[in-house]
Amino acid sequence: MLFKNLISLVLLSVLLCPFNTTFAADNVLNIYTWAGYLSDAVISQFETETGIHVNVATYVNNEVLYAKLKANPDSGYDIIMPSSYFISRMRKQALIQKIDHSKLAHYRNINPAFLSKEHDPDNEYSIPYLWNGTGIAYNIRYQAEKSVNTWQDFWLPRYKNQLLLIDDTRECFSMALIALGYSVNDQDPDHIKAAFEKLKALMPNVKLFNMDAQRSIYLDEDITIGMGLNGDIFLASAQNSYLRFIYPKEGFVITLDSIAIPVEAKHVANAHLFIDFVLRPEIAKKIALESGFSTPNRAAKELLPLKVRTNPILYPDAETLKKGQFQTDVGEAAPLYEKYFERLKLEE
Amino acid sequence: MKHNTRFRTFSTTLVWMWLGIFVLIPSFLLFATSLLVQGDSELVRLQPTLHNYFRLLDLNYLRVFLRSGLLAGTCTLGCLILGYPFSYLLARMPDRYKGFLLLLVIIPFWTSSLIRSYAIVMILKTHGILNSFLIWVGMIKVPMQFLYTQSATLIGLIYTLLPLMILPLYASIEKLDFRLIDAARDLGARKYQIFFRVLLPLTLPGILAGCILVLLPAMTLFYIPDLLGGAKTILIGNIIQNQFLGARDWPMGATISVALTLLMGMVLFVYWRFYHQHRHEYAYEQN
Amino acid sequence: MNTHMNRISKVAYLLAIYLFLYMPILVLIVYSFNDSSFSLLWQGFTFRWYESLMQNTDLQIVALHSLLVGFLAATGATGIGTLAAVSLYRYQFFGKKLIHGLIFILIISPDIVTGISLLILFSTLKMSLGFWTLLLSHITFCIPFVTVTVYSRLTGQDKNLFEAAKDLGATEGTIFRRILIPLLWPAICAGWLLSFTLSMDDVIISFFVTGPEFDILPLKIFSMVRVGIKPEINALCSVMFGLTLVIVLVYQLTLGKNNDAI
Repeated sequence: MLFKNLISLVLLSVLLCPFNTTFAADNVLNIYTWAGYLSDAVISQFETETGIHVNVATYVNNEVLYAKLKANPDSGYDIIMPSSYFISRMRKQALIQKIDHSKLAHYRNINPAFLSKEHDPDNEYSIPYLWNGTGIAYNIRYQAEKSVNTWQDFWLPRYKNQLLLIDDTRECFSMALIALGYSVNDQDPDHIKAAFEKLKALMPNVKLFNMDAQRSIYLDEDITIGMGLNGDIFLASAQNSYLRFIYPKEGFVITLDSIAIPVEAKHVANAHLFIDFVLRPEIAKKIALESGFSTPNRAAKELLPLKVRTNPILYPDAETLKKGQFQTDVGEAAPLYEKYFERLKLEE
Repeated sequence: MKHNTRFRTFSTTLVWMWLGIFVLIPSFLLFATSLLVQGDSELVRLQPTLHNYFRLLDLNYLRVFLRSGLLAGTCTLGCLILGYPFSYLLARMPDRYKGFLLLLVIIPFWTSSLIRSYAIVMILKTHGILNSFLIWVGMIKVPMQFLYTQSATLIGLIYTLLPLMILPLYASIEKLDFRLIDAARDLGARKYQIFFRVLLPLTLPGILAGCILVLLPAMTLFYIPDLLGGAKTILIGNIIQNQFLGARDWPMGATISVALTLLMGMVLFVYWRFYHQHRHEYAYEQN
Repeated sequence: MNTHMNRISKVAYLLAIYLFLYMPILVLIVYSFNDSSFSLLWQGFTFRWYESLMQNTDLQIVALHSLLVGFLAATGATGIGTLAAVSLYRYQFFGKKLIHGLIFILIISPDIVTGISLLILFSTLKMSLGFWTLLLSHITFCIPFVTVTVYSRLTGQDKNLFEAAKDLGATEGTIFRRILIPLLWPAICAGWLLSFTLSMDDVIISFFVTGPEFDILPLKIFSMVRVGIKPEINALCSVMFGLTLVIVLVYQLTLGKNNDAI
């Protein structure tokens, strides 16, 4: 009796289950992106205009995106948004395909300062979407205003057990490399070792490594000084006026998140339609405002409210921007960075 | 004769097939991966070697194993101490309420553990609920540092894994013939004697099951320790994750997993032998 | 006097543990009314998260997906896990030790390893990622929890029961249906509940084995950590929690009179 019930239950569930026939349907677009980068409003507008049904899934960092794509290139996604140094790696490993610029009427809207970088010369494989800069965030209720100007300041004894560092190998090492005067894409093992030693010396000052939302940490004053992403601090400072953000004098990292199309994508035409759509000034402006980050789209920037587009946190002047370094793939040195970062925490 | 074995054949075949396809084959692939070497553009290079296992003999790795083991062990102990009396009291409740109360234990855990961990963060933050409360009643003047400490990590782990201890314990205690306890009491046995000589041996399977179900995830969970502990110290779960994602060294990740499995296997083996020995002793004493 | 104190301390202990378990839930429910997008401190009362939840069909669908998979996976895992526990306990068969080992491997394997190895399996079998790969994976990783729970209840059972049944002419199937299942019922239910819980909450394995058309709640939540989890998710969790509580209360009040309740 029980057995029969069990069988019928199973059969019933099987009948109710969604069969993935829409997977191969033509009017679909599967997007895989960061949370907060694509709002429902923008998606609805795209769907209404083109009649294409959009599925959006979100990932939490570049590494998992890469692992998933590598283990199964036929992932089903048509649009992905890796950061620049993953673009160069994916390009070299033939995981992404060339983008047809002739289909992108609005390509000219992009600020040339963000084009043709080392990770993708001529932007054959990626189209810039949003960028963010890593700088120093601090709270003037606890730290004297203008007391911090350079990455080197982090090493001062007065910051013992106070700092927040971003829990990312490249970010932390970039900070040390810049403080030592090297490039953030340095592949020289001696330089990397020096950066490791420098970071090791910093450890007593570190209170935590953070890989999730910094906004609430700075906003709620759990941390009063540390590394920060410009967009996060901009949004947090709107609710806590004591927060300040600076781009250190020695230089800083610019992370450029760009759109790419995986090699096995099934809806390439739809993907191009989408890319051109988000390059439109009004759309790019919406995306920038809703995500809180900076847009590389010149035309869109002009449409932003005055307070936003003149804000030095989100849109620093050209002088400052020049000191920003774009990350690219460090090739053979990548495992070395990872090993040192692991050792950093191991020898705690 | 044929009828008698039909169910048995069905049962063993089904189990074999499922585990064979979804566990045996992937495990084999994993073990094979641990013998390979990291590739540059390909994930692995087809070059068999034992090199990865030798890399494990690094003092640092042993330190991490130890640290993770200590944390997991403490967490298991905490769950056991909190969970045993709870399961016992639950099992003694009138039948009418048992199921309901048990469900009440489980329901919070159908809410995402991530969200609940964030709730713990909200409680322990510098200006969070706990500190605000303590300041309000005047116990402290300046906010205390609860978050980003070992204790916060422990609390988070115990909180997340407690039901994994309660459920098997409950299942094991519930089937006891409680008249045994009454009989012991009638014979003049004191509380601790009843506990150690009657309860404990009889519920040992449940205790072991609970400990296994808690200890193993506790060894490999990394997200909650990172969130509540500040990610300053590295645990086995972090290392494995780093190997697969950050360092893209799948063979090394596979190696560490295999090593962890073997290590835990040895621990379990010791447990098992101890349990069987104890059972024999108990049976002997009964005679 | 002594038993009175005893009774109070027992109830107090139970309540204390329940409070420990429910405190974060209460906090998250309260904070679903928090008037702030990013702050985790109280900023004021508002209903707007519930309003936006009503309109967020995406989030609702994702939650339903999770429930569906959770339900099916728990049922499947309980079936196979119970059979596994019974088989291991009662029968001698080829490769019994190996099955023991496989179950053990499943428990000890870190999620990320299980996830990646299953992904490689599906990739080799050229299965497209989505609902079915997700379901198969969830059933698989829930099985050992059911097996361990059921097995621990099996040990110590009087084997004479089964001998007697056999002498009376019962087949193995009958023994399973009419003796074992009722005997093991609490453990089977505990196993089902455990599996449902694990399935609803799984992030890492699901991440690797699901496809673009089938997103589930824990994944959605996990990916939001970078930008901060909006109170909208708190609202969703509060709603789900409230519904479950209501269902359980109703069940208890209407069917609780049944003596055979768990």
